Amino acid sequence: MTTGLSFSHVSKRFTVQHDRARSFQDLMLRMLQRQGRHLPRESYWAVNDLSFDIKGGETVAIVGNNGSGKSTSLKLMTRILTPTRGTVDVRGRVSGLLELGAGFHPELSGRDNVYLNGALMGLKKRDIERRFDEIVAFSELERFIDVQLKFYSSGMAMRLAFSIAVSVDADILLVDEVLAVGDPAFQVKCLHKIHEIMQEGVTIVFVSHDLDAVQSLCQRAVWLDRGRMMMDGECGEVLDAYVASAQEEDQDVQIL
Amino acid sequence: MLTRIREVYAYRELLGILVMRDLKLRYKNSVLGFLWSLVNPMLLMLVFTIVFTVMIPNLSVPKFPVFVMCGVLPWNFFSTAVTSSILSVSHNGHLIKKVYFPLEVLPLSTVLANFVNFCLAFIVLFGMILVFGVPITPAVSLLPVVMLIHLMFTVGISLLLSTLNVFYRDTGVIMEVLLQAWFFLTPVFYPMEMLPEWAHIAGLLLPVRRLLYMLNPMASIVASYRSILYGSTVGTAAHIPAWDFTLRTALTSAAFLAFGLWVFGRFRQRFAEEV
Repeated sequence: MTTGLSFSHVSKRFTVQHDRARSFQDLMLRMLQRQGRHLPRESYWAVNDLSFDIKGGETVAIVGNNGSGKSTSLKLMTRILTPTRGTVDVRGRVSGLLELGAGFHPELSGRDNVYLNGALMGLKKRDIERRFDEIVAFSELERFIDVQLKFYSSGMAMRLAFSIAVSVDADILLVDEVLAVGDPAFQVKCLHKIHEIMQEGVTIVFVSHDLDAVQSLCQRAVWLDRGRMMMDGECGEVLDAYVASAQEEDQDVQIL
Repeated sequence: MLTRIREVYAYRELLGILVMRDLKLRYKNSVLGFLWSLVNPMLLMLVFTIVFTVMIPNLSVPKFPVFVMCGVLPWNFFSTAVTSSILSVSHNGHLIKKVYFPLEVLPLSTVLANFVNFCLAFIVLFGMILVFGVPITPAVSLLPVVMLIHLMFTVGISLLLSTLNVFYRDTGVIMEVLLQAWFFLTPVFYPMEMLPEWAHIAGLLLPVRRLLYMLNPMASIVASYRSILYGSTVGTAAHIPAWDFTLRTALTSAAFLAFGLWVFGRFRQRFAEEV
């Protein structure tokens, strides 16, 4: 099977419903008041008519300012969100480093959390068992693995989460601003691990504001602005254009 | 809907881990552990026994503690499972927004953890059956079937209400009141035979007993448990209820389960935006 993913004319609309009843109590009051003043529904397109194709084994960065639709795109890739229009075609198993440790439970031990998080990512129990030592060794938390997670420092928890996430045998790995894990030494280790995963032919989609990291990891970049595609091409070129436009905007602001 | 079920099945290990997590967390912080979960039904049984055999002694039901326990245990499972699963989706917003997995496992694992508890509580009921000398008949072999019917109904209701609570956050509060009313409309502490066959309500002649069975699936479920474990209040030994009665109960529960799955599946895609 060839892996990879394609977006064809994908749009995602979010509706800001100021006036929707959020509880039955609300609903009842509204019915009693029979209020005629309907606040208009505000909606905006977080992602607008986006099309691109990522082949298996590519490492692609998505860059853009805040609110440009980067994270929404990643969530569309993981199926957490479904597109309003268009189709997202994902070929292969996706693992996301969207938010590390989202499934952690503070009352459980590190060991139990490894199993819980692994299962959340769709791993089988025996797969987790097989990789358990490797996960723990990578996180360097051997001594604390049977301690309840609430006694971990946030850095320790992040290290464990990263180790679990990269041990999932994914065809497509989504990385969202998570390389700032732990101390510099561990960050270097993480980058090495990502390189290793790249060598194995895993497709990586990388979202970061750290343009140096993007430059060093990716061959290709996609630049988004307010949900629309600005540029798609060789990483260096796209980054140059993106930086240039950001500086331009900055100058505009200064002139004003 | 079949693809949904298949996906939940693919994540069955996650389901197992979540059930274990629920049980572990529940029992971890108390010295008595699982014994605590038996205190509530025991206390309820004791109160009902005192009220209906000492304080209001005209409810002539033989071996009342066993009779009432046959109703209290199933009802407790239902109400605690439903109450806790209502919040299972809306309280896991942080997860739903970050990781993709079949969300059905959230209410499902909550119900199943309560179901494990319920199964263990049967030890107490069987102990009481032995102590009070209620004869155990072959009818008890139907117990797994009744439990399955009961489980299907509970899962169906839980799927429905957990979906509703994502959109209307006071569902839980409303259900608290409704569950109390539901409790009194279910023959937990009174025998079904005590109800009049027909009664005039607001000028209409209504078949009360049949109506209750028809409108309240929990009434049929509790009646089934009682029939196979206790018998009837007039002294008949435990027996298998009429097959058409069981079939109707099973079909109703299956319908609720299917409807719950459908509704949950229909709105699932909006959960990540709403929670």
